[in-house]
Amino acid sequence: MKGRNLAVIAAALRPGSGTTLLARLFADYAILSREHPLIFDTDSLDRDLSRYFPHSARLVDLDRVQGQMSLFDTLASAAPGTRVVDVTYRRLKKFFDLMHDIDYLPEARLRQVEPIILYIVTRDFESYEQGRNLRDRFDCPFVVVENDLIGKPMQSLHHSSGFAALSRHPLRMQLASLDPPLADVIADPRVSLSEFMRQDPDTPVLAHLTREHRSAIRAWIIKMFKEIHRITREVDAPARVPADGEPDQ
Amino acid sequence: MSNGKKQARATEQAAARTTKPAVLLVGADKGGVGKTTITRTILDYLAAKNVLVRAFDTEHPRGTLRRFHPNVTEVVDIMSAPDQMRIIDTLATSEVKLTVIDVRAGLLAGTLNALTDIGFFEAVDAGEFNFGLFHVLGPSIASLAEIADVFPYTRGRNYFLVKNFINETSYFDWHPEIYENYFKKLKDQIEMMSIPKLNELAYEQVELAGVPFSSFIKNKNGQGQPANNSLVLRGYVRTWLNQISEEYDRAGALDWATAH
Repeated sequence: MKGRNLAVIAAALRPGSGTTLLARLFADYAILSREHPLIFDTDSLDRDLSRYFPHSARLVDLDRVQGQMSLFDTLASAAPGTRVVDVTYRRLKKFFDLMHDIDYLPEARLRQVEPIILYIVTRDFESYEQGRNLRDRFDCPFVVVENDLIGKPMQSLHHSSGFAALSRHPLRMQLASLDPPLADVIADPRVSLSEFMRQDPDTPVLAHLTREHRSAIRAWIIKMFKEIHRITREVDAPARVPADGEPDQ
Repeated sequence: MSNGKKQARATEQAAARTTKPAVLLVGADKGGVGKTTITRTILDYLAAKNVLVRAFDTEHPRGTLRRFHPNVTEVVDIMSAPDQMRIIDTLATSEVKLTVIDVRAGLLAGTLNALTDIGFFEAVDAGEFNFGLFHVLGPSIASLAEIADVFPYTRGRNYFLVKNFINETSYFDWHPEIYENYFKKLKDQIEMMSIPKLNELAYEQVELAGVPFSSFIKNKNGQGQPANNSLVLRGYVRTWLNQISEEYDRAGALDWATAH
């Protein structure tokens, strides 16, 4: 963002949608861009994101005011660098209600922070409705993220207003799938994606993998980082969101 | 001064002359019920509506209200004749038509008696002044007895019972017989208001900042300069103050104060 710091908010209505992976990708992208991102894990139960960034992720308990302050006061601060928040499905409502009630958006923009919501849709009606509500509630960039692992929603969902609204939403991102054995490899908390990318191919981090497997993982990471790069550039030059019922331009 | 400004000034002065002077007492006969906090919300509420007000803090000599609203508040000894004169004798002549008196805990009955003795309520009956009372209640049964003592002074007008949920989640509502016994008889003459609890950490930070709630929300210090207050806590205070403003609006808590 031109002169602005991004506050990346990864969220989904359902567990296992890929929010932690999405947050992790943005954080590693920022690290490879030589930033020191501020990383927040809102899941005080499973602490998934914290496992990937044990020295830098901040675990926040949104049920406590101190946790809310630790998160939002920092998200709106003038500190340099990208902020990345993994919003656990357990606290989705609480997070966004708080974001609304404290008037986070204008406060963040005063300090050159631009929030961006990345919402992963799943295959159910409520997920699309919730996504549309979030998009309409907050006047900030909103990205519809489709996770290839989740698959496409059923035809019957196509008639819902939430699906219609989000399927026409211009800002979109694809979380590409990775072969399950390789997905299991990168799911290991000991594996840092940014460290993996920095390593000389001839001195691999994951020595036990074949060259082909390491290349496949690298190709997938590059693909995801290209998506992130594209999204951040599009956020810089915002596309107009067509109103519900309005034909696409 | 330009003609336009002269016109505006004349309009202001005319409005001031035609608005009847009004006195709002905020009191409780029990300490620790959040009376001064209520007064602070009233001052913020009036400021938001551009209503000029002067306040008297009877926590003589140090004052508590004055710490948060120094520009509009004087500390007085409400039981001393000279200070009573400062308040009452200037009601009709002051350009500021609304006077708020934050009555020291335990002095509500005494203050009402003193005002009776100096003829203030006779003047109210004669239509010279408007009078209103915010009676801040504690949660115990003893508070109900205060109502019977205080109510007669209001002549059934502009009497607002304030339940301030500072640290209690239930009041005497759970005694339905007692509630009915006291309020059934008076409910047409009394307006009940409930003030929600503010998050303790937020309240504490406003105390430390020593500024009006509205200034804390705007992230300003006592000199009007940018402060460094928590965004989250400001949000809590904003939501709380908005809820109180809605309650005051609903109850018409201060409509009488600007009546002619």
